[in-house]
Amino acid sequence: MKCGFCASACPVYQVEKVESSLARGRNMMVRGLLAGDLAYTKRYAERLNKCTLCMTCTANCPAKSNIPNVTVAARADQAEAMGVGFPYNVIYRYLIPRRKLFGNVVRLASWFQGIFMPKTEGTIRHLSLFLSALGKGRHIPEIAPRFLRQRVPVVNRPPEGMPIEMRVGYFTGCMTDFVFPDKGEKIIRFLNKQGVEVVVPLEQGCCGAPVFLGAGDFMTGRELADANVKAFEGFDYVICDCATCGSALKDYAKFLGNTADRKGAYGGLGSKIKDISEFCVDVLKLPASKYKASSEVKGKKVTWHDPCHLNRYMGVTAQPRQILRSISDVEYVEMPDAGSCCGMAGTFSMKFYELSKQIADKKAKSIEATGADIVVTDCPGCEIQLIDATRRNGLPVKVMRIMDLLA
Amino acid sequence: MPETKHISRLRKIVGKENILTSKEDLSAYSYDGSTIWTHMPDVVVLPTTTEQVSLIMKVANENGVPVTPRGGGTNVSGGSIPIRGGIVLCTTRMNKILEINRQDLTAKVEPGLILNDFNMALAEEGLFYPPDPQSFMGCTIGGNINENSGGPRCLKYGVTKHYVLGLEVVLPDGYVMNLGGLTPKNRTGYDLSMLFTGSEGTLGIITKIILRLVPLPPASKTMMAVFDTIDAAADVVPHALERGILPSKVEFVDNFAIRKAEEATHMGLSTDAKVLLLAEVDGSPASVEAEALQMEEILRRCGAREIKVAQDATEADKFWGIRRIGVGAVFGAGRTILLEDVSVPRSRLAEYVQKIDSISDKYDVFIQVIGHAADGGLHPAVVTDIEDKDHFERSKKAAAELFESALSVGGVLTGEHGIGLEKQAFLRKAMDGRAIEIMKKIKAALDPNNILNPGKIWEDDGRDDG
Repeated sequence: MKCGFCASACPVYQVEKVESSLARGRNMMVRGLLAGDLAYTKRYAERLNKCTLCMTCTANCPAKSNIPNVTVAARADQAEAMGVGFPYNVIYRYLIPRRKLFGNVVRLASWFQGIFMPKTEGTIRHLSLFLSALGKGRHIPEIAPRFLRQRVPVVNRPPEGMPIEMRVGYFTGCMTDFVFPDKGEKIIRFLNKQGVEVVVPLEQGCCGAPVFLGAGDFMTGRELADANVKAFEGFDYVICDCATCGSALKDYAKFLGNTADRKGAYGGLGSKIKDISEFCVDVLKLPASKYKASSEVKGKKVTWHDPCHLNRYMGVTAQPRQILRSISDVEYVEMPDAGSCCGMAGTFSMKFYELSKQIADKKAKSIEATGADIVVTDCPGCEIQLIDATRRNGLPVKVMRIMDLLA
Repeated sequence: MPETKHISRLRKIVGKENILTSKEDLSAYSYDGSTIWTHMPDVVVLPTTTEQVSLIMKVANENGVPVTPRGGGTNVSGGSIPIRGGIVLCTTRMNKILEINRQDLTAKVEPGLILNDFNMALAEEGLFYPPDPQSFMGCTIGGNINENSGGPRCLKYGVTKHYVLGLEVVLPDGYVMNLGGLTPKNRTGYDLSMLFTGSEGTLGIITKIILRLVPLPPASKTMMAVFDTIDAAADVVPHALERGILPSKVEFVDNFAIRKAEEATHMGLSTDAKVLLLAEVDGSPASVEAEALQMEEILRRCGAREIKVAQDATEADKFWGIRRIGVGAVFGAGRTILLEDVSVPRSRLAEYVQKIDSISDKYDVFIQVIGHAADGGLHPAVVTDIEDKDHFERSKKAAAELFESALSVGGVLTGEHGIGLEKQAFLRKAMDGRAIEIMKKIKAALDPNNILNPGKIWEDDGRDDG
């Protein structure tokens, strides 16, 4: 099918207006490669990478063609045929699968940023070392002095005397672990107060999204997936506060399940994954009274940005809105095009920073139109992009994750 | 075939960021919304100004290089496929709204503006541009002019040509010509704007467009009804017109679409119904209320088994989703889709739909039907597979018979998609030979070197392509 309806909302096409960046064009290009008319060239790689995988094309496709799947599969073929380029190969193949070592390198980076980088604004600094090379001068939050895994025990029980209603695994993701440990602690404490025991297995690693979705490195992706399956054996639910991690974990079976065993194991983990908002609303069914505004956000106007991975991948849109509307002392206002991609998309934003910024500027306009004091989201990738976009556009808007709002 | 030196001249004209030459990029301009043809261009240019378009045309004309104009590439007749290679001139980067004039109810826009973006901007001003080809999310205004596109709103609001007041056109030799003006009445000489409207990119490159607007209707109401026979459903529009009601849209979908929509939405549609009708009335809130009640009664009298009225805009959108899903589902049903757009007189609609059924039986191919009950425009879609030779041959025969049957009941070959590549073989049957000769003479007068979208509309008979 080649109707071209994917043009309507593709964030990349809206900026570039070039058909080869569009789902339809990329699909045709991949077909050309399979037919032997095209070869693995630099241009091919660029076109393949120039997609945020936001899934808007599929959402608008009358035939529901899943071109993001085609894109990931084509990236995998390319990675197998051509390898993954430097520095991504070192990071993906060597560092990311070794959580402790990766942590140490990130730690090293945090020391250097403390020594060499001036604080820019508030908690915002420029990252140093290889991360800064990837960050291209973007406003990025600093790396935490102590990671979440160093700050909390593996098993976090509800307060003394409170019965344990439920036991869940917590997949923290790299960002919450290394950059936003406060947010992770807050989630643990909030769930503890609802009678939920939260376990943070140390064996968990990177979800693999940049590795298998971004770079098409399925081999390393499977290594990560196998480790995470093992780390989360025996839980009914595994909660995430990163939409990208959540959807990557949910999609292991689809992309990485190359054997019946893996398919089964990956499917099993996938079915347990719940975003934190989804868990609170659908599983715990918390009453509105449980969502109390923290003193910092009382009386403020808030709006919600749908992360692509939460919205179009995990199908979670109503739950975060329900939470935001439940918080008394906070006014909720819907932004125009809340579901449009912010343009972060992990490595996409590193490879195409200028394009990524232009996509984000549209989002900044939507945020500005609401007159909100706070834009809320539930994906650290979006969060970083929104911090960068609001600062660059001089908006007096704070970016927060949904659980940050709660007392 | 453009030579390297021509490509470097083009690069100089548009700048290196507005020219594409890699095979990877060219492959993305080798097709349109149809499913049969592809052909690679040699180069794609994305000009940003009229001056650039003019210079591009000069280079092409001087060197006999074919130029295929392209907007969003959503057209479904093969019209924007560069079937002779050469240059694809893509207007998507000329997408500005230059002026919206509330007093005169006019707008001046660039050709690459996406129709939906235009209507979103107009809505903020309380204005409205009615022509609504269903590719509105991706199609461009320039493409709409070239295809003279229409959509469901045809009965009440007409098609694209009814809104074109003036054009800026770059002729094949690079000359920039202005036609028409800002007024809804204009009797200055031949109406050459109309010559370019519907010309399928064969006569000139449209670079600016002045359009007539209407006030945005403040209210609208959508309803749906299911029927057991096509005859009953086809009665609805004539009855409404008799009562002085001019619905803004009346669309119908067949049983296949109903079933697919139910599978996708679980909204409780009667999956055994033969036809589902979607209707909308628009206007002032009071008249919409009154007309909606009358429409309900008409639907009931015509034998609707079930009638539902949308309570709000969200529900209305859900109803219209049935049609969208229906169109999408047919594209998912087979590898190759021969999507036709015959148009028949409204009074012969039911008769024609029955003919479609018998053609489907005769050639043993599945034909889905979605259509505009309001204006007699129909989209029979033959579901086939170009790789399955026998089936594809039968399907082509079925499509040919669909055309012939349409002509036999006083209809036309194409209501809104154009001839392009797809319907060339049938042009002679549908149009007076003398008229085709006149068209060719007009083409030769404007484009003596035959560089603009060559190979389209009429078949190559060895004479017309120079």
